[in-house]
Amino acid sequence: MTTYQYLIDYFSELPILIKLIGGLIVISVILIVGLTIYLKGIRRYQRNKKEEILKFKSEYEVLLIEYLYAEDHEAIKEEQNSFCEWVNKLELQPAISEEKTEEKAITPVQQAIISKLEKEVLIKSKRKIIISILYKLMDEVSGEMSVAIKELYCKTGLVNYALSRVEDKDWSIKAKSIGELSRFEIKEAHYEIVKSIAHPRKEVRKEAHLYLVNLFRFDGLYFLNELKTPLSEWDQIQILEILQKFEDQQICDIKPWLKSTNDTVVLFALKLAQIYNQYEINDTLIDLLSHNNKTVRIYAIEVLTHLYGLEAKDMLKANFNELSLEEQLGFFTMLEKLVIPSDEPFIEKHLFHKDFEIQLLALKILKSINIDKYIGLNNLPGDEKSEAMLKLENTF
Amino acid sequence: MDTSTVNIILDIIHYLFFAFAFCVISSYVVLSIISAKETIEYRKKNSFVNYKDILSSTMSPTITIIAPAYNESLNIVENVRSLLSNHYVNYDVVIVNDGSKDDSLEKLIAAFDLEKIDYVINEKIKTQPLRKGVYKSKNPAFEKLMIVDKENGGKADALNLGLNISKSKYVACIDVDCLLLEDALQKMIKPFLEETETKVIATGGVIRIANSCVIKGGKLIEVNLPKNLLVQAQILEYLRTFLLGRMAWSRLNGLLVISGAFGIFDKKIAIEVGGYDTQTVGEDMEIIVRMRRYMEEKGEKYKVSYIPDPLCWTEAPSSYKIFISQRNRWTRGTIETLKKHRKIGFNYKYGIFGLISYPYWLIFERLAPIIEVIGIIYFVVLIILKQVRWEYALSFLLLSYLFSILFSIVALYSEELTFHQYKKKGTGIKLVLLSALEPIILHPVILYSAIRGNIDYYFNKNKKWGEMVRTGLGNSES
Repeated sequence: MTTYQYLIDYFSELPILIKLIGGLIVISVILIVGLTIYLKGIRRYQRNKKEEILKFKSEYEVLLIEYLYAEDHEAIKEEQNSFCEWVNKLELQPAISEEKTEEKAITPVQQAIISKLEKEVLIKSKRKIIISILYKLMDEVSGEMSVAIKELYCKTGLVNYALSRVEDKDWSIKAKSIGELSRFEIKEAHYEIVKSIAHPRKEVRKEAHLYLVNLFRFDGLYFLNELKTPLSEWDQIQILEILQKFEDQQICDIKPWLKSTNDTVVLFALKLAQIYNQYEINDTLIDLLSHNNKTVRIYAIEVLTHLYGLEAKDMLKANFNELSLEEQLGFFTMLEKLVIPSDEPFIEKHLFHKDFEIQLLALKILKSINIDKYIGLNNLPGDEKSEAMLKLENTF
Repeated sequence: MDTSTVNIILDIIHYLFFAFAFCVISSYVVLSIISAKETIEYRKKNSFVNYKDILSSTMSPTITIIAPAYNESLNIVENVRSLLSNHYVNYDVVIVNDGSKDDSLEKLIAAFDLEKIDYVINEKIKTQPLRKGVYKSKNPAFEKLMIVDKENGGKADALNLGLNISKSKYVACIDVDCLLLEDALQKMIKPFLEETETKVIATGGVIRIANSCVIKGGKLIEVNLPKNLLVQAQILEYLRTFLLGRMAWSRLNGLLVISGAFGIFDKKIAIEVGGYDTQTVGEDMEIIVRMRRYMEEKGEKYKVSYIPDPLCWTEAPSSYKIFISQRNRWTRGTIETLKKHRKIGFNYKYGIFGLISYPYWLIFERLAPIIEVIGIIYFVVLIILKQVRWEYALSFLLLSYLFSILFSIVALYSEELTFHQYKKKGTGIKLVLLSALEPIILHPVILYSAIRGNIDYYFNKNKKWGEMVRTGLGNSES
């Protein structure tokens, strides 16, 4: 007791700064001890959770696979799933409509599994596990199996949770639920999701765009007509990948998008033109050669090269000196593919272009149209040769 | 000088040290808070991203992995195999054999069925000449691979040759002995593709320590905590640096360094600024500072991005000798870069870059070891003069020690709640104990290395890279 009293007295006599530091030391020690215990708790919780997830995963995986393979030819066929009703209600024809109408009836085994899962999805953690398994299965199966998974997603009530989250104020929950509804092709959410096309968060916008394309194929691209916000490269690639997965590759009219005031929409339309070989829009592409945005102009040259846009060649050749270096390089790449013997004077003129890549391309093109002249360049004195000629000396 | 004047001077010195310590601690607290915000945001943003489309898309941008190699014969074949196993579609690998004196090239020729090809290199950046030339594989399975054999010119020179030879829009500059996870490229390329208003000029990744991890066939199978105390301490240090420090700087768009072990660059900008500086040992930091400076001077909106996912694993030095050599080099690199670009410092024209990032690096990275050593010397003088007020000295010492432990524990929390790589039972408590030991076993060595770095910078100008011996990933038992 005396020692304790001594310590109290000692502390009270200390300068204020030391008292303050003493207080901070005590707080730090408490925090360190507390956080260490908490960290241990977190680690234990995570380990247990992981084990639990693994256990549930294997259990549900078996259950879901059993569901997918459960067949009973005596099953009652009167039950129609909710998908068909949604399909009939909608104006747009979803990508899944045809496969849905041929859906099989549910067997008693499947019904039992649905009933079990209906109870399980009430618990958030289990719901997450079931959704993750369904995602995984969706990646692994196709055709009837994937239809069955979508059906299961609806029948277990999982769809309702996703639909309720579409209007969530937290953008990440909203985006995640749109992604989920897109993955399971839930057309019912269409009108709600359309509102998110111009959402302030790009992540939500992107999920909404992907949803539309995933469900309505090229028709879903209508959002591009009014799109004011930029469409990132990342979004463009994802949309293109989704479009290319569909069997029906009948593309819609992309001309309005090539004339869009949104440059990212124009760039996306150029990609569509390239992938889907839109030869009939060459005139519109030529107009893009005088677009304000340099990236658009460069990409237009690339697409015209791909589409054998001979009309563009003369135009670019006439304005060659006004073009930026990147455009000039793009044009020479075009010439490499579309060169004709009458282009030889133009090529010769640019054998000594200031840019090495263009020099190299000019030499390559010359070699393809007039091999004798190309070999003759070897006789030029060293100081009259271009940098590319000197580098290529050994290959003449 | 009378006693009162001496006392006033001593008081001023005390307050200066106190102010410095207060600023250091405050900056760490602020950075931790910012990094927590950024980490939460990053996790939210990436919790529902589908990377598969970008993987398979032929429209995804091209990336060249440039990996300089010097005397890497021991593991070169395995390392190249690992680089070739990435899941991204549009990428190629350029291994620049930087005048190796061992049989690296012969091993590569044999393992990948290489043949010499005629290849015209556009020398946009001046480099050392080719030695034996350019090689490609006859086997279509290795069509993504290109080996360039050149005269020795150092890592920066080898990377510059890679920049010259690359036909891609983006280049991933990595250390050949690093282990890249299969999904590394698609995660690292994402910031370049998703930004529409701002130009992303470079993306840096987290570097994790692979010593004692189980690696098979170029793949990371199991993450373990090494037995070697020095390596363990570095793990803690890396967690603090990458999960707390760089994450926060990324949020502020003030990153000054992307680790030379793994970073992706916009090739056009990297070439426009003249590539890597061959005259510095801190070429990884220098190129980022130069690229940022270039963009600031052009007046273009830009960003240096950062991905906290554990995508790149490397071997950390397991001996004090190698460790000191490495940190010595890092110190010299920092001094060289900050000196070269001193125009930026405290210059409002460079915005956050000039007013926050540069001053922070100058004061808390460049000058901190010097101030610390001055503090220690001053303390010793006070002891000799019997001027130490021990209750103050011990209280401050204890508080700063506890703060360093606390800061490390916060980094461990960040790791646990995000990437949770050290899953094994008992590892958590080991890392907490390590937090208490690290200021004693690692910090003095870092301080010593930094001071040696300063001395070498000013008095030993010929010193370049220093020794870096590796045992190879998967072979290390540290």
